Amino acid sequence: MNNIFKFAIYIFLTLAFAWLAFFVGAKNQYGDLEPTSQYLEENNSIPKGADLFPQSMPGVAQLGAKEYLSLGCVTCHTQQVRTIDAGFDVERGWGKRPSVPRDYILQKEVLLGHNRVGPDLANIGLRGYTREWLHKHLFNPQILVEGSICQPSPFLYDTSNENSEGAIIVDNGESTLFIKPTLRANRIVSYLESLKQDYELPEISFIETQDEDDTEDSKQAEVASTKDYPVGVPTWLATQIESGKEIYMKAAPGGGLCFTCHQPNGQGISGQFPPLAGSDWVLGEKERLIKISIHGLMGEIEVNGVKYNNVMAPPGIPPGSLTDQQIADVLTYIRNEWGNSASAVSPEEVATIRSTVKDRGPMQMWTVAELQTESSSD
Amino acid sequence: MSSEEIRSSGMKDDKLVDEHVRLNEIKHEPTKGFLQAPLIFVFVFGCLIFVCSIQLAHTTNDFALHPPEEIIELTPDEKEALRIERKISSGEKIFAARCASCHQTNGLGIAGQYPPLAGSEWVTSDPGIITNIILKGLKGEIVVKGETYGTTAAINMAAVAINDSEIANVVSYVRQAWGNNAEEIFEDEVASIRADSAEKQDQWTGDQIISMYPESFAK
Amino acid sequence: MKKTSEQQIDQSAKFAFSFFVASAGLWLLAAAILAYIAAAKLTNPLFLSSWEFFTYGKIKISQANAFVYGWGGNSIFAVSLWIVARLSQSPVRGTIFLIFAGAIWNLAITFGLLGILDGHMLGHELLEMPKEVWPALFISYLVIAFLILVVFRSRRQSVTIAPQWFIIAALIWFPCLFLFAWNGLEINAGRGTLQAILSMWFGQNIIWLWLTPVALGCAYYIIPSVLNRPIDKYYLAIFGFWCIAGLAPWSVVHHLEGGPVPMWVPAIGTVMSIAMVFPIAVASTNFHATAFKDVSRVWNYLPLRFVIFGTLSYTISSYIGVIFSIPAVAKLTQFSIINEFHFNQRVYGFFSMIIFGMVYHILPQVTGKEIGTAAKNFHFWTSALGVFALLLAYLIGGLTHGVLAQQPSLAWITVIESVKPYFLITEFAFLILGFSQLVFVLNLWKVIVPNPFSCCEKNVEQKTA
Repeated sequence: MNNIFKFAIYIFLTLAFAWLAFFVGAKNQYGDLEPTSQYLEENNSIPKGADLFPQSMPGVAQLGAKEYLSLGCVTCHTQQVRTIDAGFDVERGWGKRPSVPRDYILQKEVLLGHNRVGPDLANIGLRGYTREWLHKHLFNPQILVEGSICQPSPFLYDTSNENSEGAIIVDNGESTLFIKPTLRANRIVSYLESLKQDYELPEISFIETQDEDDTEDSKQAEVASTKDYPVGVPTWLATQIESGKEIYMKAAPGGGLCFTCHQPNGQGISGQFPPLAGSDWVLGEKERLIKISIHGLMGEIEVNGVKYNNVMAPPGIPPGSLTDQQIADVLTYIRNEWGNSASAVSPEEVATIRSTVKDRGPMQMWTVAELQTESSSD
Repeated sequence: MSSEEIRSSGMKDDKLVDEHVRLNEIKHEPTKGFLQAPLIFVFVFGCLIFVCSIQLAHTTNDFALHPPEEIIELTPDEKEALRIERKISSGEKIFAARCASCHQTNGLGIAGQYPPLAGSEWVTSDPGIITNIILKGLKGEIVVKGETYGTTAAINMAAVAINDSEIANVVSYVRQAWGNNAEEIFEDEVASIRADSAEKQDQWTGDQIISMYPESFAK
Repeated sequence: MKKTSEQQIDQSAKFAFSFFVASAGLWLLAAAILAYIAAAKLTNPLFLSSWEFFTYGKIKISQANAFVYGWGGNSIFAVSLWIVARLSQSPVRGTIFLIFAGAIWNLAITFGLLGILDGHMLGHELLEMPKEVWPALFISYLVIAFLILVVFRSRRQSVTIAPQWFIIAALIWFPCLFLFAWNGLEINAGRGTLQAILSMWFGQNIIWLWLTPVALGCAYYIIPSVLNRPIDKYYLAIFGFWCIAGLAPWSVVHHLEGGPVPMWVPAIGTVMSIAMVFPIAVASTNFHATAFKDVSRVWNYLPLRFVIFGTLSYTISSYIGVIFSIPAVAKLTQFSIINEFHFNQRVYGFFSMIIFGMVYHILPQVTGKEIGTAAKNFHFWTSALGVFALLLAYLIGGLTHGVLAQQPSLAWITVIESVKPYFLITEFAFLILGFSQLVFVLNLWKVIVPNPFSCCEKNVEQKTA
C-alpha cells in the first residue's frame, strides 16, 4: 500500500484479471465464430451449398448502419432479443428466437443498446413494415403512432407541396406534404429492413409461441404491411456485391475507376455522366450493360429521361482490362446499390457475351444505336 | 458557529494522517462492542458467499457459449419432411437470385422472350432436361407449351459457385412449384449428368435435348 | 503572520485548483443545458427537432460525456490535487503544466462533443467521442495524473490512509481502463458482441472505478477532518477498499443479462454485484457511524451536509442497484428508465453532491474568501429538491415502464404513455437542477474571479495592520 509502484501494479491487476476473463476468455470462447448453416449434418459438418448465416448486409444497409449510429438511435432502441428465462422479448413478438453471439459477428459496430424507450429493433425487418411506412415514421412518427415520443427527422427528407416522382404522401390531418427520401433516409430504411434474425442456427431454433400474431405490436405491423417480405441476400451474392463495390471505388490497377465519373453515390454528374441509381440501363437487360462494361460507350444516350453525350472508356485500369469475374461483380454491385435491386450478373454471362463480340476491337466503344440493333436481333 | 470556526476546530491534516495510521497499526483496539462488529461482518460475508455460489452454479450454464436448448427427437417421417422442406426452400432462394429475373418468380416467363416453367414438360418430365440446360445452357429455338422461344446467349452456370447440390435444390424446387408435381432430383444424379456431359463445349440446342429425352416429348 | 504549512500548500494549489474548478463548473452548466434539452425532447418530441445537430440521441450522449469527462474529470483533478497535496503535506508542483494539460483536456472534450453532435459518434458507452480526440485526452490526463503522483511521492508520512488509497487508485484506474478499451474496441477490435462486453465494462467501470473512488476518498477525508474524530471502525476500511477494487471490475457486466453473450459473463457479474453489498456496508459504516456522532455539526457545516447527502445516496443507490441486478428483477427493469435512475443517482446524488461539498470546503481555504451561507444553503436545497424529484420519477417511472413492457397485450405506445408523466417530472427536475448548478457556478465565480476592488481593501488592511 505504501509503495506506489507496488500499489499501481495491484490496481492494474484488479482490472487485468477481469479483462482477462471477460475479454480474452470470451474471445477464446467465441472470437472465431463464423457464419454457419441453419442445421448441421450428422457429422457436424455444413451441408454442401447451404446458405450460411448470418449474412452480411447489402452495401446500402451497411451505410444505413453508419447513419443509425451517427444519429444516436441506440439511445432509445436495443437490438437484442433476450433469452426466455431472462426476458419477455420473444413473448412480446419481438423475435422468433433469442439472439445469440453468432448473429452479430458480421456487424462492424454492434449496437446492442441498453434502453428501451422505443421497441427493440433486432427483428424489425420481419414485422412487415413497408418502406413507405418506415419513411413516414422517420419523417414524423407522431402521424403514424399517435403520442409517440420518437424524434422526427425531417432533415432526412426533401419536403414540398407538390407531388414528384418517388415522393411519399404524408397527410397529417391539416395539410398534405410530399416527401422525397434523401439517400441517407433510404440507407436507414434499407438498414432497418435488413435487421432480422429469421434463420435458425445449430445452437438455437425458433421458439414456438402460440399467439405470436396476437401481440399488439404485430397487429400494428399488419396494418402497415404488404406481406411482401424481401428475399434474404445469400452469402455468395453479398460477397459479389462487396467485391464489386471495391472494384467500383478502386482507382488503381485491378479497379474500374467508375466512381470518378458516376460518383460514389451513383448519381453521376448532371449534364456529363449519367446516374446509375434508378437507371433503366442498369436495371434492365443485362446484355447491353455487359457490352458497355467490356467496350465502353460513346455518343448520345438518354438515361431516366435526361440526355447525356460523352465518352466512356472501356472500364478498367488499363482500359478494358477487367476480367469476366470483375465485370460480373461490379455490375452486380451497381444493380444492388443506391436503392437498386436487380438480379446478379454471373461471370459466365459475361463470358458468353464477350465471346459473341470477340471480333470487335478492344477500344471500339459502343453507340446506343448499335446496342439497340444488337438486342433487337435476338 | 461560522464556517471558518468549524474548519479551524477540525482536525489538522498531519494529525489526521498520523491518527489513522496509528489506528491501522493497532488493529485490535479495545473498544466496547469490538468483538461483535467483525463477527457480524464475518457472518454477513459468509452468507453472501454462500448465496452467491449457489447463484453462480445455477446460472452459468457450465460456461457454455449458448443458452441451454431442449433437444427434440424427430420421428423419421418428420425428419424426411424437414429434409424436403429445407431442400425446396434452398431451391427457392437460388431461383429467386439467379433465374427469376428472366423466368419470373411466378414461373410464367415473359411472352416471346423467356419460356414459362409452370406446367412445362421441359421441367416436369425428366429432371435431366433442365439439369443439362443449367449445366450447359441452351441456344436456338424451342417450343414450350405451344409457344416458340429463341435464345442466343443463354445462361451457363457450370463453372460458377452453383454446385451439384445447388442444382439439385433448384431443379427440385421448380419441379414442385406453381402447381408442378414432379419428384425431386438428387445430388448424385446431377453429378452423373455433369460427368456425362463433360465433353460438350457449347450450349445444347432444343433438338439435341429432345433427342436425348424422347419419352418426355412424345405427344 | 507566519503561514502554517497547510496555508503554504493551499497557496501552491491555488491556481491549478481554481482553474480546474472553474472548468468543472462551466462543464456542469453545459451538461445541465444538454440534460434539460434531452428531457424536454422526451415530453415534446418536436422541440428542436428540425435541426440535425440536436437529435435526442446526440444530445443525450453528449450530455453523458460532458458530465463524466468535463464535470467529472475536472472536478476529480481539482479535489484529488488538493487532498493529495494536503495529506502528503507537500506543495503542488508544475502548476503551469497542470493548467496547460487541463486546457488540452477541455479542448479535447469540446471537439469530441462537437464531433458527436456533427454525427461522428462511435458506438462505445462513454467513449462516443470520435477517436481523433482520444490521444489528446489520454496524454493530458497522464500529465495531470503524473503531477499529482509526484506530489504523492514526496509525502511526509510514508504509510498511507484511506482517502489516499481511493484517490490514487482512481487516478491509476482511468488510464488502465482507457487503454484496455482503446485496444479492444478500436485497435484490436473484437468481433460481434465481444465489443459489447468490453464497451459495457468500460462505461460502467468509469463510474465505479473513477468517479466513485474519488468521491469516497473525499468523504474519507472530510468527515474526520471537520468532525475532529477519526473514522469509526477504520480498521475495516482497508478491507472495504480491496473488496471494491477486486469485485467492482467483475460486477459491472451484469447489465448484459439475457443478452447475446455467453451466460457466464452476466452470471459472474450478478454474483459479484451481490457480493458488493459487503464493501458498500463497510464504507457506509465508516461514514455514517462517524458522522452521526455529531449530527449538528454535520448539518450546520454546509460542505459536510452535501457530503453526507452524497454518502447516504451512495449507500441507498448501491443497495437498490444490487436488488436490480438480481435476474428476476432485471428481467423487468433491465432496459427501462431504471438505468437513468442508476446513472443519475450515482453521478448527481452521490458524486456531484460530494464534489460540491468538497469544493465549498476547499475554496475558502485556497482563495481566502468565504462563500455566503445563504448562497450555499440555497444551492443545497435546490439540489436536494432536484435530485429527489429526478430520482423518484426515474425509480417509479422505471418500475412502471418495466412492468408494463412485459405484457404482450399492451402495445408499446401504451407503455410509453404511462411513463410520460414521469418524463414530465424529470423535465422539471432538470430545470431545477440546472438552476441550482447555475447558483453553484455563481458562487464559484464570486470567489475565484478576483474582485477588482478587493485588492485595494487588502492594501488598506495591511497598512493598518
